[in-house]
Amino acid sequence: MGREVGAPLQVRVRKARQGADRRPFVLDVSLEIPPGITILFGPSGAGKSTLLDCIAGLVQPDSGSVRVGREIWFDSAAAISVPVHRRKIGYVFQSLALFPHLTVEENIGYGIARVPAREKAQRVDEILSAFRIAELRHRKGGEISGGEAQRVELARSLVTEPHVLLLDEPMTGLDEDLKDHIIEDLRAWREARNIPILYVTHSRTEAQALGDHTVILHAGTTRGAVAPSG
Amino acid sequence: MGPLWLSMELAATVAALLLLIGLPVAYWLAFSRWRGKFLLEAVVALPLVLPPTVLGFYALVAMGPHGPLGKLWQAVFGHGLAFTFTGLVLASILYSFPFAVQPLMSSFEGVDRRLLNASAVLGASPWRTFCSVILPLSIPGVVTGGVLCFAHTLGEFGVVLMVGGNLPGVTRTASIAIYDRVQSLEYSEANRMALTLLILSFAVLSLVYAVNRHARRSLWTPWAAR
Repeated sequence: MGREVGAPLQVRVRKARQGADRRPFVLDVSLEIPPGITILFGPSGAGKSTLLDCIAGLVQPDSGSVRVGREIWFDSAAAISVPVHRRKIGYVFQSLALFPHLTVEENIGYGIARVPAREKAQRVDEILSAFRIAELRHRKGGEISGGEAQRVELARSLVTEPHVLLLDEPMTGLDEDLKDHIIEDLRAWREARNIPILYVTHSRTEAQALGDHTVILHAGTTRGAVAPSG
Repeated sequence: MGPLWLSMELAATVAALLLLIGLPVAYWLAFSRWRGKFLLEAVVALPLVLPPTVLGFYALVAMGPHGPLGKLWQAVFGHGLAFTFTGLVLASILYSFPFAVQPLMSSFEGVDRRLLNASAVLGASPWRTFCSVILPLSIPGVVTGGVLCFAHTLGEFGVVLMVGGNLPGVTRTASIAIYDRVQSLEYSEANRMALTLLILSFAVLSLVYAVNRHARRSLWTPWAAR
């Protein structure tokens, strides 16, 4: 499979685009994100979501490169740009994106469609119970509450065994109890799989509970290197 | 074959073929980032504004023994295209093209882009995203497009008259037959056929609106409005 567990994510991208206020905005970032959870802090409009989109391939950088270990996902000099669906990425968006016409079970199985049926069923079952959402399995994606949908979405991203995980404020709008549960789940998951996880949040509590490293993004550039959270 | 059945057969054939042709065209129009896209959009919408006789005239010229399509058809199949059922189908496809493409296109455009991104990130190719996400969420557009093509073809007159003429059992559709009956002052027979068409069209349109209302309700998502 050529899978490299534990490989760091190297991002060196430049992307000019129009900001929300129609003023020109340049994202210019050079980062090495080690395995573990790296908290990405920064004010609104600093380019956090654009950075995540560049890594995922949803936005094409003007120049630079994105690599995970020896896998090259994007390299403007070599004219390489691996399409989004071949990047083996887990991405939980800031706003919910469950397929409303599919059941929770089908949503979670969506990313592992090529896995043999028995193994797929087993993996879906495991993650449903790990995230305490087994009772929702036959409900449609459009029929469950926001908090439930958020957990399903996290489960849907993790079940694919991604090489890199991007989480864009995945706990917005969840109550404290649920947050604690998810933090617990994410910690256990991080222990089991040693991959780079980039976690965007505004919450100091989440950052303290989960962050192995911290990086601050301000007006499109990073301040300092990826630093161990203390 | 009676004129009403002939109309039905023509309408069903045209609707089925138009959905097949309309899906890729609508997909391209909805998702392409090509700057000159508006040109194709204008071409697709042309039959909405052109008099059917203009469209029928050019279709007849193209399909005639000296037209490019007519010559090609003659060379391949050994007979002409004008004044045949196949010729009628081709001309009707042109005439009803926007009725298939526009509902499909607006349905595709209405699918939340976040779902398309989510599908790609989960490893689905553009083809799988189309089959598993875009198409199921565009059922109302597919139904509307299909039914509108059927109903529009059922009621067409000018194009059929230009391209098909008035051959009983081959190209004499219901609308032509009604016109014929009125010309020969057979009002009660004309009324019988006209009333059948009226009721049929009403039933078909009611079905479209009912299906769409139902589909919209079942796809409603509480968190999508956030």
